[in-house]
Amino acid sequence: MANSDPIPRDQAPPSDSEETNGADEISEEGEEEEDTEYEEFEEEEEELDPVRERERLKSIFRRLSTDPVHVRVHDVVIKGNTKTKDAIIEAEISDLFKKPRTVQELVAAASIANARLKQLDVFDSVSITLDAGPAELPGTTNVVIEVVEASNPLTGNVGVFSKPEARSWSLEGSLKLKNLFGHADIWDTSGAFGWDQSLEIGTGVWVPRFKSVPTPLSARAFLLSQDWLKFSSYKERLMGLNFGLLSTNNHDLSYNLTWRTLTDPTRMSSPSIRRQLGHNVLSALKYCYKIDRRDSHLRPKSGYAFSSTSQVSGLWDLRGLKFFRQEFDLRAAMPLGFWNAALNVGLSAGAIFPLGRNFTKLSTSVPDRFFLGGHSSLVCSLGGPSSLLGFQTRGLGPNDMRRVLNLNKDEGLSVQSDCHDFVGGDLAVTAFADVSFDLPLKIFRDAGIHGHAFVCAGNLAKLSEGEIRNFSAERFLKTFRSSAGVGVILPTKFFRVEVNYCHVLKQFENDHGKNGIQFSFSSPL
Amino acid sequence: MGDSRSSGDRHLFLVARKPRFGLPTACPSCLPVYLYLKLANADFSVEFDSSFPDSDHIPYVEYGESVALNNEKGGVIELLKEEAILDLNAKHTSLAIPDLVSTKAMVSSWLYEAILYELWIAIGGDVARNIYFSDLPWPIGKILHWKKIYDVKKLLGVTKVNCEERELEIYKKANEAYEALSLKLGDQVFFFDNRPTDVDALFLGHALFVLHALPETSELRSNLLKHDNLVKYAEHLKAELQLDSTPSSTQPSSSSKDASTSSAPRRKPSSGWGAKPNPKPKKEKTEEEKKFRRRAKYFLATQLVAVLVFLSLMGVPGDSEMDDEDAVDYDEE
Repeated sequence: MANSDPIPRDQAPPSDSEETNGADEISEEGEEEEDTEYEEFEEEEEELDPVRERERLKSIFRRLSTDPVHVRVHDVVIKGNTKTKDAIIEAEISDLFKKPRTVQELVAAASIANARLKQLDVFDSVSITLDAGPAELPGTTNVVIEVVEASNPLTGNVGVFSKPEARSWSLEGSLKLKNLFGHADIWDTSGAFGWDQSLEIGTGVWVPRFKSVPTPLSARAFLLSQDWLKFSSYKERLMGLNFGLLSTNNHDLSYNLTWRTLTDPTRMSSPSIRRQLGHNVLSALKYCYKIDRRDSHLRPKSGYAFSSTSQVSGLWDLRGLKFFRQEFDLRAAMPLGFWNAALNVGLSAGAIFPLGRNFTKLSTSVPDRFFLGGHSSLVCSLGGPSSLLGFQTRGLGPNDMRRVLNLNKDEGLSVQSDCHDFVGGDLAVTAFADVSFDLPLKIFRDAGIHGHAFVCAGNLAKLSEGEIRNFSAERFLKTFRSSAGVGVILPTKFFRVEVNYCHVLKQFENDHGKNGIQFSFSSPL
Repeated sequence: MGDSRSSGDRHLFLVARKPRFGLPTACPSCLPVYLYLKLANADFSVEFDSSFPDSDHIPYVEYGESVALNNEKGGVIELLKEEAILDLNAKHTSLAIPDLVSTKAMVSSWLYEAILYELWIAIGGDVARNIYFSDLPWPIGKILHWKKIYDVKKLLGVTKVNCEERELEIYKKANEAYEALSLKLGDQVFFFDNRPTDVDALFLGHALFVLHALPETSELRSNLLKHDNLVKYAEHLKAELQLDSTPSSTQPSSSSKDASTSSAPRRKPSSGWGAKPNPKPKKEKTEEEKKFRRRAKYFLATQLVAVLVFLSLMGVPGDSEMDDEDAVDYDEE
């Protein structure tokens, strides 16, 4: 609306009462009044427009979020990728934008696409915008994906971690080179040095998809050396290749080709270990199914988890190691309703059998057998029987006497070093129950520091070399080792620390169980 | 067959490389030990190892809780003598000892070097591969084979420059040893006093390996064949000891266990993979030391935990919640 004589905005317009009083004046004044009224009406409309606009937008968004507003994706536009191939990005998100029929579904799909692209770990940022489609096609939208590729493709990190299968914690460092060939490929080189002088060096590549294979693939070459001299009188050196063939949330299939060498530089090993020394090839296919419905994997309070790992070895030729190995692990957590407490229970079992004619008489390889003991967390580790608090690493089960050295045969002196080698078991079963609870002080609760009380039990048995005939389930149950204890868990940014006092309830001759305080360090993630 | 110091009622377990070429064990290091036990009429069983071809400790003999390894104290035979388990030389007079020792030194050095050179360098890879690596997957066997050839060349001092010269030197010494042994043996059944000694075990193992395992093109074999009495000596004892029948392992074999051979030189037990000087018995730590170490560990761990608790309680906890970057903030419009 045009106004020839607009009132300056710094002069406040007259109020209603003032307008009412001005209506009784002569015509000139009336015209002025009409102008004034017209101007006032305009001002009121201008004042009301932002409010009306805001209301209008609110109603639009309300409608978008609640009412089914039909829309169709016309095109997906990708911007910002100078190195990354369009096909890689399209493959990650193509299935997401075909199905949505409403704006709500489209927004949900966009957030999933955003998460998937960020998971590739080759972009600094990902933004998805829903733009209007062509004017001639009403009800359509264009999805605009704008990515910012990593400015620095080389990243590195260092951390301290503890793995259930390792003897202790290790210092690990890795370098990653991202998106070298534009296929969202990640090349990494890593090294880990353990407190027990174990060493691992590896290099590998990971791609989210390769040609027609829709799941991530990985390939890794590694060199690992571990020192088990103190427990089993041998050192282990592994060199090989690992191929990740299928990797989804629940399923993992991998192939491992490893050259394994066992040596005993001390020459003190027991006969059982001495016969295992030498070179072997492990050519194994490993399938892992894992489902974890717990609310947290560090301090679960509800839910359940299950994992099953199957490994079959002997795929290279007739001269490699041939065995079948199976592990199960079942966990459950339930809240107790006081002090933020929760009860966690778990049952794990594993068995290994040699493959071949007369397999009951054949032997299994010591490194592939099951060992119990160590300080790894009962609740956090999911992946077969391994941990039994209160016992040293590889501290129980079948064992063999080490070599006796006759130093002075005239005087009948002999030296036997530390007596026994633990040779592992072909059958392993562990179980535990753990109650976690908040500590009374608020400062501890705020920091996530909590306490727990636990009881655990486990046992190993030998089945190979004809021992399966002598196996008795009753004796196996009677010879279960057990321990109980209490402890405090400190989740920090760098480690997850457990400080436990363990009391061994039942152990047998030659077991290395010990009452006392134990520390455990694991990844905070 | 021969007098020996009795091994008593002790049963021995010999772990050696697998049999081949009509021999009870095809490894030139394992065969003398096997023959020594046979000559001593020892009560022993044989197990075969095929997964550790590059080891120094094979062959070894287990007796009770003890074991005599090849790479300790001069070898299995010397250990068995030292431990008074089996001593073929015990009944021989002191007059024969110097001669016996020098003959043994000649067989253990010159003839042993000749076998090493012939097996790993001169005749190519087939014989060695059949003895040591046939039970391993091909890539591993190949790598170990190359490494062994390299180690033997280094041990014998054979290089590209002096290869021919070293070959002549090794064959010359072997020939001299054959001539000396042939003269020493004459028409006897054994080398010394018609009783078996460890020299008989050592040379018999050498001779049987050269005659049966090496191909006809082998120069070492040709040189040995020139001495009829040595050949007859070997064949006669082979028949006497009934070595034609392959010994069966008394232990159930594992999926990867079979016979394989070690050719680590006895003179240098520390050469080769995994071998170190004689292990010293671990010094027993005193109770005080153990207590001190335990307390030190607890102290360090407590300090670390205290630092971590301090950082956790005083630091800002790192929330891992991600901001929703794509959310539209309607209120800002």
